Amino acid sequence: MITKYTLIDEVRQRSFVVMFVICAICVFLVRGCYQGNYTVNGQSLDAGTIVRTLSKVTFHIIGAGVMVIAALLSMRIFRRDRNEGMQACVLSKPIARWQYVTGKIIGLWFLSVLFMFILHSIVFLITSINLQVFMPEYLAASLLCSINLLFVVIAVLLLSLLMPDIVAFLCVLGVGIVGFVADGIAAASHSQIAQAVVQQSAGHPQSNLTWWKVVYLLWPKLLGVQQLASSLIESESSPGFGPAYPVINVLLYCLILGALLFKRFRNEDIV
Amino acid sequence: MIELRNVIKRYESLTAVDDVSFSVKTGEYFALLGPNGAGKTTIVKMLLDFTRPSTGSLSLSGIPSTHPECRTSIGYLAENHHIPPSLSGWQYLLRCAELLDINRSEASDQCRRIVELIGMQGRENTKVCTYSKGMIQRFGLGAALMGNPKLLILDEPTSGLDPIGIREIRQLLESLKGQGMTIFLNSHLLSEVEKICDTAAIINRGRLLVKDTISAIVKDGETLEDVFVRLVKG
Repeated sequence: MITKYTLIDEVRQRSFVVMFVICAICVFLVRGCYQGNYTVNGQSLDAGTIVRTLSKVTFHIIGAGVMVIAALLSMRIFRRDRNEGMQACVLSKPIARWQYVTGKIIGLWFLSVLFMFILHSIVFLITSINLQVFMPEYLAASLLCSINLLFVVIAVLLLSLLMPDIVAFLCVLGVGIVGFVADGIAAASHSQIAQAVVQQSAGHPQSNLTWWKVVYLLWPKLLGVQQLASSLIESESSPGFGPAYPVINVLLYCLILGALLFKRFRNEDIV
Repeated sequence: MIELRNVIKRYESLTAVDDVSFSVKTGEYFALLGPNGAGKTTIVKMLLDFTRPSTGSLSLSGIPSTHPECRTSIGYLAENHHIPPSLSGWQYLLRCAELLDINRSEASDQCRRIVELIGMQGRENTKVCTYSKGMIQRFGLGAALMGNPKLLILDEPTSGLDPIGIREIRQLLESLKGQGMTIFLNSHLLSEVEKICDTAAIINRGRLLVKDTISAIVKDGETLEDVFVRLVKG
């Protein structure tokens, strides 16, 4: 019931409809890029390669973008329910607080997964119908990225109970950006050129474990999950720690933050 | 029906409710009176488990207030009641019915009956953002009556209503008297309380000053207002 109301109330918001339409139009307009002539080192790329590469780029952009949107949707949900009297209305009925919070999480997660899936489906349909390149794994990859959206929803909901909504949003956005940048640097540092430069300048083997490596290992692996998902599109091996670690990392964060959210809301004063 | 035992609620250095104990019997119309900041709304919030007492216990029909099942037969109207502006009055009532697990057809029947009871026929399908404060208050009371609750907790139910509306609410509450409903009322309108309530408690600065029947509290030649002012001002 709470999940249903969460979905209905969010979809009724004009800002949500506008956001969705703009995103869908932007994704649709990208279709022109697939039909360009691209050359690398003087050689023309074949159409199939262009489609797959551009689809992966679009995949990542959509994945990251919807994470931001999920954070925006989540940051105001408790405050809006409070101000509109729905929180008091629901919790004055025989509904437990954990049921209310669970309904909110599932509603927001489902809505943002659906949002992302529709955008990814537009890309899938463009490549399938217009370009005759069929990538069913594209949709499976989209569903894998839903783990990231669950993390974002739970994290923002928890932080919105502890700090102003916009600060909660910025904190989670910051975590995501730091993770993306760190993973990017880590990926670049594993390249042959980077390793050669490091070894030349250091002159001795790198130490195995430093504090920043531990922090990096434990940081939410949002980009790792996205990379794992995109590796399904081109059937390539996933970079970094292997396929399981990013998923386990993000799921563990979801469990821990979820437990903290339920505990915090249990002690929250209802206005 | 309602029992409070040695309830204390502290917010950091402030004691909002200070060792309050009283009970309300089934079928009783009970009023909780006190000046602003006395702790009335805090007691209501603890009854609904919106906040937890620092010590002491509260129970409804023998079930601790911390258990959701104690709210199965409760209707609640908040002071300064709000309804999501994107809903219509009808949609809001239906939503309240769904939250109580009432099936769709019975919910529609109840909504129809409640709309008539609160005098909002013809306005139930317009958006709440077009309603006046009094209309929102009426729909709030209607939502509290959804599911035929055994206990009604009303926090300033006549807030925002004109004198005709106040009279209609009083008449509505009086009509429910014979149906075995228990009412727990927070109100500043002492004249209305004197007309409809059986018992009352007066609190000030979190402490219970008196709890008894209206006839025992109000002596000959006095009004409830006289007693209230005398007790509160000391």
